[in-house]
Amino acid sequence: MSRVQLLDASSAPLTARRHYAAGDPGPLVAALATVPELLEVALPFLSTVLGASALDVRTKEIVIVRTSALLRCGYCVDGHSVVALDAGLTLAEVGALRGEGPIEWDVEGEDDLVAWIDAVAGGRGPVDSDLAARLAGCFAEHEIVELTLLIGATMMLNRFCTALELPTAQVVADRLASVGLR
Amino acid sequence: MSAVDQAVADGVLPGRVWLYSNYHCNLTCSYCLTESGPGVQRRELSPARMVEVAEQAADLGFTDLGLTGGEPFLLPTMPETLARLGAVLPTVALTNGTLFTGRRLAAAEVLAGARVALQISLDSAEPDDNDRARGPENFAKVVAAVPALVERGITVRIATTQSEDEPADMARLCALHRDLGVPDSDHVVRPIIARGRAEAAGLGVEVRPEDLPAELTVTADGAFWSPFGPTVRGGRLDTDLLLTRTTDPLQVPAQTLLGLIEGRPPGADSTLNIR
Repeated sequence: MSRVQLLDASSAPLTARRHYAAGDPGPLVAALATVPELLEVALPFLSTVLGASALDVRTKEIVIVRTSALLRCGYCVDGHSVVALDAGLTLAEVGALRGEGPIEWDVEGEDDLVAWIDAVAGGRGPVDSDLAARLAGCFAEHEIVELTLLIGATMMLNRFCTALELPTAQVVADRLASVGLR
Repeated sequence: MSAVDQAVADGVLPGRVWLYSNYHCNLTCSYCLTESGPGVQRRELSPARMVEVAEQAADLGFTDLGLTGGEPFLLPTMPETLARLGAVLPTVALTNGTLFTGRRLAAAEVLAGARVALQISLDSAEPDDNDRARGPENFAKVVAAVPALVERGITVRIATTQSEDEPADMARLCALHRDLGVPDSDHVVRPIIARGRAEAAGLGVEVRPEDLPAELTVTADGAFWSPFGPTVRGGRLDTDLLLTRTTDPLQVPAQTLLGLIEGRPPGADSTLNIR
């Protein structure tokens, strides 16, 4: 049960209605729709930062699941665990990102990426220079910019969804249960 | 010429901006859009905020103001507030007209000669028919208040909300308002709209947003498409016609409204004749 009203299609403000055209847009849109002028800017921003971009989807889902796990956002961890599996991450990788046990990352640079996420999302103050140098050895500067913004945007989303207790969709819960992640 | 100026001049945007001063009321009418009554959440706009909205509306190019509730005259400072609003833009204030006795009637004298019209609800020339929807003694209070206000130089309009066409009764009602000092040109008739308490009671006509006047409407909860937008159902504010929560600056909801009406032909929102 969410802490705020989640607007359905019949209650959706005029400028939000297009987001309901294809059916239930999910609790994030349904919550943001109560302030339609925020929905108008937040959704394109989040879609751009979290959606398809120059970074490959595997890398982005590593960032989102790991950040969400660090912030203990059940809604985002659940939803993006499914996306991560669909993006080709293994069950063991997704479990590791969720904090359910360490693994050896096969793809070069992904261990440094996870360390970067842990430092940015889980730490306070400056980020270690050695770690930044290691990351720069694996990712181009524009990729580091995008990765770091993705961590920040995910943190914002994590706190929003957690504080307002947005509910995990049943279809997501069922999918996670079917693979032993819930 | 501003975008609002142009849209108003082109007839695609109504020139009037509405203010919901408050939601509480001394009556509990059966077809009330806002489920107003004595004990409801007040959702008040302060007098200063109302004047601020009026000034911003004038700056943007809007031409008129409307003020509604709830019963606006439950707010003690309403006569002075209306006088200030009228000094900014011509204003029509919707009231049930039942409070204009004694000190409240005297206080209303500040509106004599102001660019303010009080639009008082009167649904039938038959007291019982009128009072069935609006409450006991409503008819008697209104027919006493209207001439008292007119005598004091205050412009009065009569608004009739009809559930169905009853031409014979309408003729008697028109004869009555003329007797009370209100000319035909100041008598408006609109249908019951199936929102708020009317919808719960199965009353009124169903409307789509495009049927309602695209009049920018400011409340304590945000800005809406049309004064028929910020209705209340089951104690909860309807959001289907919400434009923005932001009302200051007024340009924010005005710009959103302009975006929504872009491409509509002039007068497209007048199908129910309730502008």
